[in-house]
Amino acid sequence: MSVHEQLEEVFREVFNDCNLLLSDEMTAEDISGWDSVAHINLMFRIEQTFRVEFSGNELAEFKNIGELKKYLIRKGVHE
Amino acid sequence: MSTVAVDSRTLHSSAVARGDKLYQLGQIEPALEAYLAAAAAASELVPASICLKLARSYERLGSYAEAYHWALAVVDAGDDFSAWQTGSGLAQRLIMNHQPVVHRSVKVALVGSYTTTQFTQVLQLATARLGIALEIYESPYGQYRQEILDHNSRMYTFAPDFLILAVHEGELVLPTYSASPQEDVDTELQRWTMLWEQIAAHSKTRVVQYNFVTPCESPMGHLGARLPGSRYMMTQTLNSRLGEHAGNTVSIVDCERLSALYGKQRWFDPRYWHLAKQAVALGALPLLARHTAAVISADLGLSRKCLVLDLDNTLWGGVIGEDGLAGIKLGQGIEGEAFIAFQEYLLKLKQKGIILTVCSKNNESDAREPFEKHPDMRIRLDDLALFVVNWESKPDNLRLISKALNIGLDSMVFLDDSPVERAAVRQFVPEVDVIQLPPDPTQYTRTLSQYLLFETSWFTPEDALRTQQYRERAQVMELETGTTSIEDFYRNLQMQAVVEPFNEFHLPRIAQLIGKTNQFNLTTRRHGVPVLQGFMQDSNCVHFFLRLCDRFSDHGLVSLMIAFHRGDGLEIDTWLMSCRVISRTVEATMLEYLCGRARQLDCKFIRGTYIPTTKNLMAKDVFRTFGFDLVQQNGEVSVWQYDLHQKGGIMNQFIKAVISNKACHERT
Repeated sequence: MSVHEQLEEVFREVFNDCNLLLSDEMTAEDISGWDSVAHINLMFRIEQTFRVEFSGNELAEFKNIGELKKYLIRKGVHE
Repeated sequence: MSTVAVDSRTLHSSAVARGDKLYQLGQIEPALEAYLAAAAAASELVPASICLKLARSYERLGSYAEAYHWALAVVDAGDDFSAWQTGSGLAQRLIMNHQPVVHRSVKVALVGSYTTTQFTQVLQLATARLGIALEIYESPYGQYRQEILDHNSRMYTFAPDFLILAVHEGELVLPTYSASPQEDVDTELQRWTMLWEQIAAHSKTRVVQYNFVTPCESPMGHLGARLPGSRYMMTQTLNSRLGEHAGNTVSIVDCERLSALYGKQRWFDPRYWHLAKQAVALGALPLLARHTAAVISADLGLSRKCLVLDLDNTLWGGVIGEDGLAGIKLGQGIEGEAFIAFQEYLLKLKQKGIILTVCSKNNESDAREPFEKHPDMRIRLDDLALFVVNWESKPDNLRLISKALNIGLDSMVFLDDSPVERAAVRQFVPEVDVIQLPPDPTQYTRTLSQYLLFETSWFTPEDALRTQQYRERAQVMELETGTTSIEDFYRNLQMQAVVEPFNEFHLPRIAQLIGKTNQFNLTTRRHGVPVLQGFMQDSNCVHFFLRLCDRFSDHGLVSLMIAFHRGDGLEIDTWLMSCRVISRTVEATMLEYLCGRARQLDCKFIRGTYIPTTKNLMAKDVFRTFGFDLVQQNGEVSVWQYDLHQKGGIMNQFIKAVISNKACHERT
């Protein structure tokens, strides 16, 4: 599975929507239910799934899904 | 890891992949079959990911009970927070379509100093797994003081049975170093006990206080451990003092110990603290939830009472029937020492009131030999309430033990090294909890210590004697077969009872009985300590308990009654009896004393109520037996009346009752 697909899988779990599709341009605004609580759950699950640890800043902020993927790839997660 | 485990892992991962593919194609039934195959190929504990897949598949097929079962099975699979969160969401959704069997429904207020949103979800799953349905009120972030001090707060309106005070070390007003640590700790202690008092004054809720986790960072270094004024030491002192003050009225969840168990570095994750004020890392929440649920379950009297032990490869290494007394591993070598340590741990459980019994497939004479002759054996035959050694099936023997000791199967825990026996017990007596012993005996003690349902809410001196009492009860059963009539049997026992009104000294045991007695309990009203203290002040309340001894043993405080003087009658609010002394005519003595009190109060009648539950069927006919007339039937609930003038008092010729001095004093 690619990083994109794995990420999609995580989002589907967190937002309980098995048809959810991700694109690089998407932001929190585009996904209903992505509030501060969901954000924490999401980040925890991403760290677990990809076995990475974000910095405090990375946890809190990214422009869009594309940037989140860049964080992951920068941490050695392979496509 | 052994090759067998690796093989089964590849086997189940291919089945999972097959299932996933089918599931995506909408072929749910074949997908489910693949997942079930994966579960069967996994070890005894099915991984959380498969549990969730099974739950979802069953849900899609409309099999909500199975789906619910698998959603809860996530708890047994390990402490994976994300899986728990998903499982909890699933379970919440499923209860809309499926009414699960619950032992108890309780209202819990979660009142904290940090973010508790995620904890709320996992706590619900942990309690659901124990058969406790929760209704949760979560107070707004950080508002614990306002919620408690404002007597009109939403928390009080919610009227919780339990209030979890989930607070963290950052809330403590203690300096890094204090020149007057005693005063500072006293002030801090008062701040917390004052909150407890406020809660007690304005509600009937039981407080579950989280104690304080000393942080990883220690500016004072090792010096802090010998400087009473260091914040580190003051926090530890405060934890001890909170424990002392809690006594029997407040429950503590020892977060300091849990954080050490989990690893303090991981318990507090500064990133998530600064991001979202999570004072307990998400990964630690399942552990915290399981322990909190165990404490609540103990307070509700739902803890397990009896441990059923296998012998070969459980209490010693090897097989006694084949290896002989000199051949079993016990005492010498790594495993031999581990079995000693394990036996010593079992005796510590016995000390706190867990009943030990043996259930083994063996020849009885072989099985007895190590207990009687092996120099390194720690457990002796008289540590065991029952020694069931035969070639019958374990499920049958468990039912036998349940009957002989008169305790429910759902009070029993099964410990056996054999996966086959464990599977048989899980299948045929699912009420019994099964502990999965690891293959390595050096890990036995730790595995058992991680089982949480031996948590108890009180400790009274009677707890330490419990195995002995049950053992004597079993002996009485033997004696029973030797006597010709039941009257002879009662006389032979030479029973004596002491009847006394409630007092502070016996209150813990009284509250314990009220909290956990299910079978002989006419109304199953779970009055807590504050309510009982209220009754003791109430001049219209007649309250008393009975201690029983016979020629075999002192059974301790085994029955109690609470009644209210209303108009011309005495109305029984609560009447219960420990199942240890069922069929001993104790009921008659209780009524004898009650009649006496009724006469002193010039009552014309006694009125009693029977409220049926799933467990108290045995008490159904007690009023009829003693000549009460049925005067009212409201659905399941029946009300009975005994006319004192017409029928006279009730007497018991088999128990010599002594009214204690204190009671006599009160009566005059």
